[in-house]
Amino acid sequence: MIEFKNVSKIYVTGTEAVHNATFTIEKGEFAFLVGTSGSGKSTLIKLILKEEEASRGNIIINGKDITYLRQKRVPYLRRSMGVVFQDFRLLPDKTVYDNVAFAMHIVRATPKHIRRQVPMVLSLVGLSNKAKMYPNELSGGEQQRVALARALVNNPSMIIADEPTGNLDPETAWDIMNLLNEINARGTTVVMATHAKDIVNKMKKRVIQIDKGVIIRDDKRGGYSSEV
Amino acid sequence: MIREVDIVVKFNSFTYLISEGIKNVLKNKKASMASLVTMICAMIMFGVFFVLGENANHVVEQVSSSQGIEVFIVNEATDEEINKLESDIWSLGDKIATVTFVSKQEALESMKEQLGSDSDLLDIYEGDNNIFPASFIVTLSDLSYSAEVEQQIWEMDNVKDITSSDQTIDTLIKIANGVKIAIGVIFVFLIIIAITIISNTIKLSVHARRKEISIMKYVGATNGFIRGPFIIEGILIGIVSSALTLLILGTGYDIIIEKIGNSSVLQVMGIQLLQFSDMLQVITIVFLALGIGIGVIGSSISMKKYLEV
Repeated sequence: MIEFKNVSKIYVTGTEAVHNATFTIEKGEFAFLVGTSGSGKSTLIKLILKEEEASRGNIIINGKDITYLRQKRVPYLRRSMGVVFQDFRLLPDKTVYDNVAFAMHIVRATPKHIRRQVPMVLSLVGLSNKAKMYPNELSGGEQQRVALARALVNNPSMIIADEPTGNLDPETAWDIMNLLNEINARGTTVVMATHAKDIVNKMKKRVIQIDKGVIIRDDKRGGYSSEV
Repeated sequence: MIREVDIVVKFNSFTYLISEGIKNVLKNKKASMASLVTMICAMIMFGVFFVLGENANHVVEQVSSSQGIEVFIVNEATDEEINKLESDIWSLGDKIATVTFVSKQEALESMKEQLGSDSDLLDIYEGDNNIFPASFIVTLSDLSYSAEVEQQIWEMDNVKDITSSDQTIDTLIKIANGVKIAIGVIFVFLIIIAITIISNTIKLSVHARRKEISIMKYVGATNGFIRGPFIIEGILIGIVSSALTLLILGTGYDIIIEKIGNSSVLQVMGIQLLQFSDMLQVITIVFLALGIGIGVIGSSISMKKYLEV
């Protein structure tokens, strides 16, 4: 599903954010990327999204080597992934429904398909009754659920979440984690960058730890740090 | 997958793009209004010169068709020689528009006509006493050839005299050419101004929606899809300002023409100015092409920076 082969990323400033990273995340897996800020987590996410180009090595996604993917093809790569961010990134002037439908317009779905699919994902994230509300009328947890619904609506094969609980209180954070777990149970691969220790420790999922750009640990069922 | 589905999908996203484009304009009211007004000013300026130029051309055409070169033929010339002269004149090629033979009798008649009630004064010249020479009235395809053609005709046989275009025509030609150059210069300026205005407006609009654009990129929107609404916004501004300019220009022109058109000077000269409807087609095409072209170019320029995510 996601395969990194000796990938390094050196920014134009000269800093090496990722050094010789090699790992494979299989289809249907749930993997945490952990590390302190500045460790290279975000760069890994950006490399998967093809927001940044690898300086060395190969990145293979869904069996396709995207290292030399043409810029024009990038949108189609991204359609196979649902992305969730720490800051939700919802459109404030669109309702919950439209925020989700928007992602379907972009992939040129038919109105009929949109009308069927959007209520379905909204009920999946438990927001059916808030479809007509605007993001500023929702709590942080609800906003993140909208973002999750938007990420899911086009049936991506994987969810890439960059600190999705970073702006949420612990309780709401668990709501989101349970949702992600449920989504994963339905067969969607989940890759989540985080530094929420207790979440990682309790979930007992795969943990890939990165420090100063180097992958220092890859546990099949690990905790946030190796001491646990 | 299937072609039919593709077409439906394309149509759906097209209506989506249009509605998003309209939303852009409405959301961006102040900037859209400002660019609309500036565009209209620029287009009116161009329109005024365009209208002047068309009229100048029209006047030159009228004058040149009425004022040909008159080539008088020597009295001794035989019919054969006259025919030869005519074909010689025709042989000057494209420069010649028409050649009309005026016989001695016709020349007399026309002189009588001019004298009106005093025409019987000329009765003594009837028949063999006719002193009026036969002539060819030669009109040119373009008045600027007149000096050249005159000289070439002088070199032909049996030519007695030539009367030709006077200085008024030269002046008219100069004015018409001057206006043409002015139109060209203003046209270039208009394009530059309009592209700057529209691309600036779109830049504001893009800036206001930059968050949305970055989300679109993450969800997998193609650049073309993202660009669509903004290009439509540019085109809309172009079309609306063209339409308003046409309206303003047309109304203003008709009012002015009514005042000037009846002036005695023009009537004496037998000159008619163009009606706005005569130019409507050309102006509409020029303005729409301008509006749409500039809309596309202006918005493409301003989008570049924001599409690199």
